[in-house]
Amino acid sequence: MSKESTYSRRAFLKASGAFVMLASIPYSLKAMYVDVDKLTVVPKQALSITVSINKKSYSVPADTRTTLLDLLREELHLTGAKKGCDHGQCGACTVHVDGERVLSCLTLSAMIQGKEVTTIEGLADGEKLHPMQQAFIECDGFQCGYCTPGQIMSAVACVKEGHTGSVAEIKEFMSGNLCRCGAYNGIVQSIQKVANA
Amino acid sequence: MEFLNTIDKKVKEGRVEGVDKVTGKGKFAAEYTVENVCYAVLVGANIPAGKITSFNLDQAKQVSGVLDILTHLHRPEVPGFATEELIKSSRFGLPIFHTDQVYFKGQPIALVIADTLEDATYSASLVEVQYAATPFRVDFDAARETVGLTEAGKERGAMAAWANAPHTVEEEYNIKSQVHNPMEMHATIAQWTANDRLVLHDKNQGVNNVQNVFANLLKIPKENIEVFSEFVGGGFGSGLRVWPHALAAILGAKQVNRPVKLMLTRPQMFAGTGYRPASWQKIKIGADASGKFQGIFHQAKNATSLYENFNDGITRVTRLIYDFENLKAEAAIVPLNLSAPTWMRGPGDCTGDFAIESAIDELSYKLGIDPVELRLKNLAIATNPETKLPWSTNFLNECVMQGAERINWSERKSQPGQLVDGDWSTGYGMAVGAWNAGRGNASAAIKMERDGTITVQTAMTDIGTGTGTGMVNIAHDTTGIPKEKIKIELGHSSLPPAPSQGGSNGLSSVSGAVVAVSLALKLKLAEFAASQNEIYKTAKEEEILLSENGLSFQKNNQHFISYADIWSKNGLTMVEVEASSGPGTERQKYSFCSSAAHFCKLKVNTKTGKVKLERMICIADGGKIVNDQAAANQMSGAAVGGIGMTLMEEQQIDTRLGGLIADDLAGYHFAVNADAPIIEVGFIGKPDPNINPTGAKGLGEVGIIGTAPAIANAIYNAIGKRFRDLPITPDKILLG
Amino acid sequence: MRPFSFTKIDNAANALAAKKEKSQFIAGGTNLVDLMKKNIAQPEQVLDVTTALSSEIEDFTKGIRIGAMARNSALTTNAIVLEKYPLVSKAVLAGASPQIRNMASTAGNLLQRTRCPYFYDVTTACNKRKPNSGCSALEGENRMSAVIGYSEQCVAVHPSDLCVALAALDAKVNIENSKNKKSVISFGDFHRLPGNEPNRDNNLPENALITSVEIPSNGFQKHSAYLKIRDRDSYAFALVSVAAALELQGTRIVAARLASGGVAHKPWRWYDAEAFLKGKEATAANFSEAANIAVQDLKPLAHNGFKKEMLQGAIATALQQCLTV
Repeated sequence: MSKESTYSRRAFLKASGAFVMLASIPYSLKAMYVDVDKLTVVPKQALSITVSINKKSYSVPADTRTTLLDLLREELHLTGAKKGCDHGQCGACTVHVDGERVLSCLTLSAMIQGKEVTTIEGLADGEKLHPMQQAFIECDGFQCGYCTPGQIMSAVACVKEGHTGSVAEIKEFMSGNLCRCGAYNGIVQSIQKVANA
Repeated sequence: MEFLNTIDKKVKEGRVEGVDKVTGKGKFAAEYTVENVCYAVLVGANIPAGKITSFNLDQAKQVSGVLDILTHLHRPEVPGFATEELIKSSRFGLPIFHTDQVYFKGQPIALVIADTLEDATYSASLVEVQYAATPFRVDFDAARETVGLTEAGKERGAMAAWANAPHTVEEEYNIKSQVHNPMEMHATIAQWTANDRLVLHDKNQGVNNVQNVFANLLKIPKENIEVFSEFVGGGFGSGLRVWPHALAAILGAKQVNRPVKLMLTRPQMFAGTGYRPASWQKIKIGADASGKFQGIFHQAKNATSLYENFNDGITRVTRLIYDFENLKAEAAIVPLNLSAPTWMRGPGDCTGDFAIESAIDELSYKLGIDPVELRLKNLAIATNPETKLPWSTNFLNECVMQGAERINWSERKSQPGQLVDGDWSTGYGMAVGAWNAGRGNASAAIKMERDGTITVQTAMTDIGTGTGTGMVNIAHDTTGIPKEKIKIELGHSSLPPAPSQGGSNGLSSVSGAVVAVSLALKLKLAEFAASQNEIYKTAKEEEILLSENGLSFQKNNQHFISYADIWSKNGLTMVEVEASSGPGTERQKYSFCSSAAHFCKLKVNTKTGKVKLERMICIADGGKIVNDQAAANQMSGAAVGGIGMTLMEEQQIDTRLGGLIADDLAGYHFAVNADAPIIEVGFIGKPDPNINPTGAKGLGEVGIIGTAPAIANAIYNAIGKRFRDLPITPDKILLG
Repeated sequence: MRPFSFTKIDNAANALAAKKEKSQFIAGGTNLVDLMKKNIAQPEQVLDVTTALSSEIEDFTKGIRIGAMARNSALTTNAIVLEKYPLVSKAVLAGASPQIRNMASTAGNLLQRTRCPYFYDVTTACNKRKPNSGCSALEGENRMSAVIGYSEQCVAVHPSDLCVALAALDAKVNIENSKNKKSVISFGDFHRLPGNEPNRDNNLPENALITSVEIPSNGFQKHSAYLKIRDRDSYAFALVSVAAALELQGTRIVAARLASGGVAHKPWRWYDAEAFLKGKEATAANFSEAANIAVQDLKPLAHNGFKKEMLQGAIATALQQCLTV
């Protein structure tokens, strides 16, 4: 039995002792909780991640399983990048890695060692909003605001990539960012505004 | 470069919460930093029906950092679930962790709590469950045959009266189940701050509802339950209910004596937070030779769950829009081994409207009467045909005429398949929709500071509807205080109570409260001012003018007294007022509705089955528009939802295995940016003088009620194929 | 997700040396991380090869060589690809989203796994995910499934768009094994049909890596099209897709290539239709006939009979688009 598992076992039993409102448990099942003799569960592995996020350097220990999205949201409390599906199907978690738009939910933290990550929190210049943020406000490029950070990070990249030649082109190159409120009118308009500025 | 052809935009300053949303600073439910928080992950049942016989949690508990695993055999007791009677009367739906019954695949049956999300997720995958499986049914089409229809609402006139109608259409309509899928997955952070005190950061559409539900279940005073829902990442109805996962988080937090964060996974959203149920409808409509409707027979069935009944109210809309003598409606619900459905944007009405508006379009071809003309001939513009009360306002006819003009309806061909360019055929379609415009009781408060800054407060949530911005506009219009000095606080249970944001009632309800509290502020300030200037003693609300820094009588700067003066003379730190407002006797005199006309131009590729929407136009009567830009956004967004409903949205169900499949955002398609044209929105903009003090009627639903038939009717006009089942995917276009 | 160790590797030889039975190489991660989250892939060791393999796109006299790590997005902006192999760029642009294309590698694209919903749902039987557990799609919801080349064991389709173009253009896959031995697999032989081993998607040997993909030079620069029919306009997997390429002399077809996605366990070449077109005039009638020939041998399942009509229409349309796009 690995040390970690032994520890967790004890922690669990200790927690059990503190139950305040335990429902009745049949004996056989109670027994199941304590009699563990077979261990096939793998202990987690940690590594130290050094990464620059919004031009600030971080050195944090992380589970090898931790995605960049969970690292940002749960460890660093940078909750601007959103979890909308966690499987690369919605674009809400879009951030820039080394200047390119990527999905943080499909990026393992371990793979961003030494890279420069920009999230929505790092887009503005101090108190001065990025032109795309300003455009989203002026063109009402959102409703609930949940997909918005991803839309804006994607929109900034869309302009940089030069995919703003027509409404159709903007729409195609923004289709990796789902918006269930359907604020697509304002999103397209925001991008046109910045592209034409 | 193309330019957008949307409504004129006067408002450039954006929404009050705009900066918070574009910078990522606004905190949604799962994003609050709560000290010592741990993570919970739900485990779902693997079978659609049966009984749980045992759990094997050995492996799951070996995962490091696991704190506990809740099941029905091991969890804190929920007093509101103590007996079967209590479970039933709680109307909570699924009594999570208080039953060994499995009603649907994916039903939450265990909750793993661990120090980290990774550990909890891994452990949840190791939970083993043994079941005694029983037969199930999930096939709506097969099951509905076994359920009989019963009368839905009072019959109007008689079926016999139009038995010999010269022109009739009688057809069936089927719509697959659709899922709300707000972009923010439902999440709860539950924290017990004392044995009977609970703090929740929760995604929902109504904090007071959450409070009430848990006060009842947990038998603690509702004042002891504090609910934060300051930013809500969409709802579309999914947040009008309190779902089992929120209770699971609360129980988990109790069990481990730590704050617990639980965010549903996207697949769990499909079986855990409601959906628009699959439906079947049959419509028979009859008209005389002039096109006047003689009667409608509307039958509908919708799916529901085995543990909770849900009637979507599909035939309701048929009573609302048109003026005709004879109406019979029947409905039934069909219980299946699926999770409970719930209201989804334009609930019932957008389903019923698809059938009615498709049938009317079909009738127009039989009659040889233009669909626009046929609507105008039959719309119930003066009186609610059901209640016989006059509409307070109803400009649906103007919506239809404006929409027709805007899309160049005259270019539509009266016969299908006439506008052909190679493999592409162009068609035009239209439909109308209406929604009973409601209003609830709501309260609001204002806190005013010495410098004239006011904070307007209400418990109502803003789920993207622009409620906060609307409140600023109303407070500004009513008081005269400049917008930049008006702050908003909402989405918190300690603020003045308000109904849930939903059913297009949000702004209609809260606007009355904001007007009332704004007037109360004027009177309160005048009361203080009266000690300095007697004129204010008898001043009426409309005579009191507020500005950036003080109040005046009848006209600006007349008998001016600065706020600073008032504050000093009266030793004030803050002036606080609260007021409520709700519907009154006007509802005995009038009926109220919002309405919209939808127009669509599209082309269909007859070789590949692809549908390309070229123009979508939505003209709405929502009374006074309090915030042009947000209102237009909401309408166009609803139309985008309607595009999804029409062309792609379908929750797939494997009828042999008894469960959902492809239950994620790659398998369940809703419209991406490229699917929608720039949606063109227009408003009639005439205030409704009776509904509430602002004259604003709700808009959330009418944007989607009528979108689907407008598109389906345009497809028929393009290629001569009539689609009565949704969604109309490319394969159906080809084989139809 | 099951815990795993993570190691970054600096070259192909070291990557192959480090690989154990339950190791998995990771490049873009767009499919692997997804599968790991779903507990479908459960590696004990993840080896990061992002800097171990080339991302160069090199033009050489007989063709183009695309490094294993060349990002999908690079294939849409690279001047050589756009000028000489535009079909590749068109196919890539029809797939996924800009964000995913920025992450996904060329080699990873070849190795991505099916999107069959049953493969993704660990509560259901799936021979590809768990050999001998059964195929839920065969008599289940198989609207998206294969219409040709499937077996009783598996009716899944390969999800890639890029691979359809690579199949059409007779690409070659360069691989290297743990003994540093280099070899080449022709694209047509790279992906497998399911047969009795649906768990195997392709013929890449166990201890080998894809180092690059080569496309021989061709005469299809001017006339190629990639047409993808899906349930929404973008960011969705194909119902069917068609890569079409023509080499013309005047209006006569010197050579034709036709391949499809969304129809089989591997990118599917329509050889008979290609043979028919060779030497014919590039006319709508001939394109239609080619489409008819292509779909003759299809054997649709209960819910995907539409793919026959759809393919017929899509092939004819794609060929027509070769003349205009």
